[in-house]
Amino acid sequence: MLDAAVSRRGLLAAGAVAGGLAAAGPALPAGAATSSAPRRTLHERRLHLLRRATFGPTPHSLAALSRGRMSHWVELQLHPGRIDDPEGDAVRALYPRLQWSIPQVRAGVDEFSWDLMFQLGQATIGQAAWSRRQLFEVMVDFWSNHLNVTNPSDNVWDNRHDYDRNVVRRHALGTFESMLIASARHPAMLRYLNQADSTKDAPNENYGRELLELHTVGVDAGYTERMMVDSARIMTGYTVDDDTGLFAYDPSIHWTGEVRVLAFSATNAASDGRDVAYSYLRYLARHPATAHQLARKLVVHFVADQPPPRLVSHLANVYLANRTAIRPVLRELFASAAFRDAPRKMRRPYEDVMATLRVLDVGLHRGSDRAAARSGLESLYWMVDSAGHAPSAWGLPDGYPDVATAWQSAGGVLSRWNIHQSLAAAWWPDSDHVKAANCRALLPRTRPATYGGLVDALSARLLFGRLPAAHRSAVLTFCGVHAGTALPADSEWLGWRLSHLVALILDAPAHLVR
Amino acid sequence: MTSDVTTESCPTCPATAADTRGVSRRGLLSGMLGLTAAGYVGLSAPGMSTRLAFASTPSAYEGDVLVVLSLRGGADGLSIVVPTGDPDYLMKRPTIGVPQGALLPGDGIFGLHPELKPLQPLWQSGAFGAVHAVGQMDPTRSHFEALREMERGAPGASLRSGWLDRALTQRGTGTPFQAVNLGDALPTQQLAGPAPVLAMSSVNSFVLDIADGDDATYAATELARWRRALTTMYDGASAPIAGPASAALSALRTTVGLKRGGYTPAPGASYDKDSDLAMALRDLARLIKAGVGLQVAAVEFDDWDMHDDLGTLSAGRLRGKLRELANALAAFTTDLGPRLADVTIVTLSEFGRRVEENGSAGVDHGHGNVSLVIGGGVNGGKVYGSWPGLADADLDDGDLAATTDYRALLAEILTKRCGQPGISTVFPGLADGPLGIVRAR
Repeated sequence: MLDAAVSRRGLLAAGAVAGGLAAAGPALPAGAATSSAPRRTLHERRLHLLRRATFGPTPHSLAALSRGRMSHWVELQLHPGRIDDPEGDAVRALYPRLQWSIPQVRAGVDEFSWDLMFQLGQATIGQAAWSRRQLFEVMVDFWSNHLNVTNPSDNVWDNRHDYDRNVVRRHALGTFESMLIASARHPAMLRYLNQADSTKDAPNENYGRELLELHTVGVDAGYTERMMVDSARIMTGYTVDDDTGLFAYDPSIHWTGEVRVLAFSATNAASDGRDVAYSYLRYLARHPATAHQLARKLVVHFVADQPPPRLVSHLANVYLANRTAIRPVLRELFASAAFRDAPRKMRRPYEDVMATLRVLDVGLHRGSDRAAARSGLESLYWMVDSAGHAPSAWGLPDGYPDVATAWQSAGGVLSRWNIHQSLAAAWWPDSDHVKAANCRALLPRTRPATYGGLVDALSARLLFGRLPAAHRSAVLTFCGVHAGTALPADSEWLGWRLSHLVALILDAPAHLVR
Repeated sequence: MTSDVTTESCPTCPATAADTRGVSRRGLLSGMLGLTAAGYVGLSAPGMSTRLAFASTPSAYEGDVLVVLSLRGGADGLSIVVPTGDPDYLMKRPTIGVPQGALLPGDGIFGLHPELKPLQPLWQSGAFGAVHAVGQMDPTRSHFEALREMERGAPGASLRSGWLDRALTQRGTGTPFQAVNLGDALPTQQLAGPAPVLAMSSVNSFVLDIADGDDATYAATELARWRRALTTMYDGASAPIAGPASAALSALRTTVGLKRGGYTPAPGASYDKDSDLAMALRDLARLIKAGVGLQVAAVEFDDWDMHDDLGTLSAGRLRGKLRELANALAAFTTDLGPRLADVTIVTLSEFGRRVEENGSAGVDHGHGNVSLVIGGGVNGGKVYGSWPGLADADLDDGDLAATTDYRALLAEILTKRCGQPGISTVFPGLADGPLGIVRAR
């Protein structure tokens, strides 16, 4: 126990050791946290990269990364089209309707059915868990939250899947400007934020406000309420054709007259306001405040809840210099010293479940039964939903929060513990619906001689390191043994209780962070 | 700096309490574990009792249970407690305005939306009142900023904790159940800060599945095994990791007992099982009756952001929303019965809506709003506050002005009903005095 007099910094430093792995660095004495973070070894840097740029390391991904330079691995991940992706293809093949156009859906699916929206959620989970294009999937999650269109939600039953394909996935590693413009004219966004029925006589301010506050410059950029109204006016005319469900421009509802938002102004005299809107969106995408907001969010996601300001401003400059291109920003981010030395970040529930699936080698159901495979993904969907973190299901347009403090919840941590057990023991989804975890396969080929050896082997396999001594001894006490107790072949801890042991090790704070 | 998670951008780390945050939580945890362990001496199967779990935990708290019901998204107060006597109301809302003849009797120029019918007996008996034109003195029309500021409750001050956390921290009389956040996966930022919070989606789901089964003895043994291991593992982790884990581990034995015991609401209390709000309030009534030391409960009821299709009395989104709200609250108060004397419920919403309707039969973000207050100590049947009027010249940028600081209402409840000793710590800089909407206990 720590003395009550130690400072918070000292506590956090101690927490880093207790919460992480002993191998992550030497324990800092209380009060010494003002010195820089411990340098990570090459092995630790590889793990760190996999914890951030993928949904969780696996023995396989660690081996693949270790075969070359980390920068080459990042470069390949930045070009997902160059990566063969049989696992991702298998998931996508289960959901052919997600490739349908909006008119196809309206012709071929029951009106207002939520099926396709749930299918999108399930396909998203399958790709996040198993696609080899991991960084791409991480960025899809990032942008889906940044330009959130809640899935499922009313009014987007016929187009949410198309938004995922043609806005988020198409531009996830392209330019933000293209993504923003694509989102602004996508029927899903137009309906979600009520732009579809905003008119010159009665502008609906929902989209015009969030375009500024959430999508681009941010609430502190200095725009006034009057400018916010102009933002809504500029976008009038952007609507959805009720017959086709497709984007339409209607000059008869476009507000005309001078508009001014921050340093953007236009006479906006023509009833066809598309050029004005286009210039406005480009202006916003290239605004320094947008650059800062996006850089900040990326650094919060990949580096630290408290983003190092120098890295943020550097990345903002890279973004502007590259005309809003996303790849150069990520390249710089992963190459930065701030990334290399970043403190651990708490895994959010979705990230915890994905990492657990990956490290336990839970996979898509094998064989020809597509219904079973889809049912397995459906179970996983409800699993993350019960943890409060189904993909894109956040009800508000700002997307899920990305800092640890927003997720502090007793019920949340309890649900993680239950999920670890359920997946390790293949309770649900079971082996009829997924390629379930096989805890025996997590053990080394040769049975460890002692329980201490067993715990160490499982820690190495599941956490890629050694547990801190106190945690190791808690696990041994849990089993009612000592480190040196001989491990017999018929031990219950190699039998019916093995999944308990695996779950408990995944419950360790070391797995709660990335 | 090194830590397993970063904590600095955290709204939950109050500047003043930052240095003691981790320590106090840990100290509290170890204290509680000792006490609860002592409470179980002599019991054959730990987890069988709910009351005994905290019987030896001294709790000096004797005030009301304060239930804060957050209507997130910006509820349209003008459609809930309707200023039907204001000539501009129907003029500015030709489509969505509630016609005078349909309203339930309210107070003065105000009538109640007809969907509040299930709450009418409470209005008539004086256990239900309202404050109108209430809001934040420093207005913003951004959901996210408005919600953050409302839950922080300290405009102009640099505090990063939530107002409920400051109230609890000041009392310092807690049990693991002192503050419960029900029904939502993410805790409200009103409770952000050092005071332990128990966030749960429901009582029955708050179990460790591996130690939940028909065989009570086996379950109790397994629970003890897991609790011991997890307690050691999370001891010493940084606050955002250790706090929720210790709250979960402390509460588990009690929730196991509650689940095992089941729950039957009082006769006449009819909770809609398809309503998340109703089920959250049902759990809340259950916790209140179980006597687990509840002081504060936060419940969220979302989806009030009606930019479109707010609707009329016969169609649209609002009527179903209000029906769900009224039915759930009616069931809750019925279920509580005489215990309502020790409960105060207050609704908060980050802002009201624009007075004038938009082109989508909805209303955009506005400012002043209504708060509903229900409880045994309420001087109800009245609408409190100062009505600024809906004429163009009286509006704040097109919106109902806020003439009452929402914190004045909360301060009055905390002071009179919860025995809060120093309100200036909870709401620094609050200038407005009490409205008279509740009686002192």
